[in-house]
Amino acid sequence: MLELRIAGRSFGQPVLGEVFATIERGDRICLLGPSGIGKTTLLNAIAGLDKTIPAEAIRGREALRVGYLFQEHRLLPWRTLSANLQLVGATPQEAEAHLASVGLKGYGHYLPDQLSLGMARRAALARCLAVKPDLLLLDEPFASLDPVMAGELKTLIAGILDTNPGMAMICVTHDGGDAEILANRLWYLDGKPARLQWDDRVGEPGLIDSLLGRLRQLDPADS
Amino acid sequence: MSQSPGRPPAWSYWVALPSFVLVWAVVAWALNSPLLPTPLNVLDTLMQESASGELWHHLGATLGRVVVAFILAMLLGTAIGVVMGRSRTTNALFDPMLVLLLNLPALVTIILMYVWFGLVEVAAVMAVVINKVPNVAVTVREGARSLDYRLEEMATVYDFTRWQRFREVWVPQLFPYLMAATRGGLALIWKIVLVVELLGRSSGVGFQLHMAFQVFDVAAILAYSLAFIAVVQLIELAILQPLERRSSRWRQPEAAHA
Repeated sequence: MLELRIAGRSFGQPVLGEVFATIERGDRICLLGPSGIGKTTLLNAIAGLDKTIPAEAIRGREALRVGYLFQEHRLLPWRTLSANLQLVGATPQEAEAHLASVGLKGYGHYLPDQLSLGMARRAALARCLAVKPDLLLLDEPFASLDPVMAGELKTLIAGILDTNPGMAMICVTHDGGDAEILANRLWYLDGKPARLQWDDRVGEPGLIDSLLGRLRQLDPADS
Repeated sequence: MSQSPGRPPAWSYWVALPSFVLVWAVVAWALNSPLLPTPLNVLDTLMQESASGELWHHLGATLGRVVVAFILAMLLGTAIGVVMGRSRTTNALFDPMLVLLLNLPALVTIILMYVWFGLVEVAAVMAVVINKVPNVAVTVREGARSLDYRLEEMATVYDFTRWQRFREVWVPQLFPYLMAATRGGLALIWKIVLVVELLGRSSGVGFQLHMAFQVFDVAAILAYSLAFIAVVQLIELAILQPLERRSSRWRQPEAAHA
């Protein structure tokens, strides 16, 4: 579905090294790695936001509908939630339905800044769904939420993935625990410049534990 | 000094102007000179000019020039400002020109336009536009530089069309700057238009002021000034303030309760 052949990315000094990978439909990738290593940089590259990376390096991107849950909600603050969803192509009815599916039934006429952080993030997730995405990109979706809200959002996202088996997901996180719930494939980004140190499919029982064990050994501070 | 919270008492707005008119009336009555007519004289002149249709003819001519010059200056200035704010190269190319135009006295532009193109309407409006465009461009450029890159990325990911990006992402962010340019712009254009009319047109408030000056008709000068101020205020109250309120409603919403 998507083939990455990224040669690298520098911000003054090289941040990202070569990244070669193929993403298939139904892949649920958790992108792990120490903070500041370039996970968001890689996610932006995959999203096609990085103008310094040629389009050929992200083969297949053009044909994909992408929903990107940024760290901030990035809804247009001067438009209601419903209008924000309609701007990416939803009909008013679809907008209401998507909002309801993330637990914001009846909030269509609210402005983004009227919402709490957790609600705004769910509204932004609803916008991701409104584009009927082939690929869902999530940048630290559980950061700065309290444990209860984070848990709810995790269940919500897992549910979305289960009902849309063809949808692929890449979720940036630095919490190995997220991967246990969401992932069927793990990427670990590390090094200077950063490369995918592992790219493992999680299938057999026990594999995820061993991966997480390796992760803790490599990076005890971050797990 | 301590400032009491809330709104000031209603009467406080009705002190300065009536006192001023009263002082004016007393001084004019005491001097009894045609060089300082009483408020009633001025009102009388205003009525006569209004009844004869002269006032409306000249106010209309001035207003027409202001509107045309304003629209042209805003469109041009906004386009230039956005492009310069978004591209460093364009900015570097045109910034010296902008500085030159900003420091060019309005009078010079007006004279040159009249000399080169003759005492015609196009020259008059062009002179006003050239004076105003740099101010708009500089203000809008400031806004274009502060556009939120995070919303730009969002618009890119979600494949916003050019029009959607402009209408939904840029304009709301540029709005305070456009409003500032509009206010500053109108204030400036009003004044320049009068000079343009004084120097080379045969209609408009500026032209009438010129005629009144020739014969030292102070009552007419004041009458036209008053009418002019009234129109400017009317535009402020009827157009600018409602527009500003409408477009900044999203800024202070009440919080939702989940």
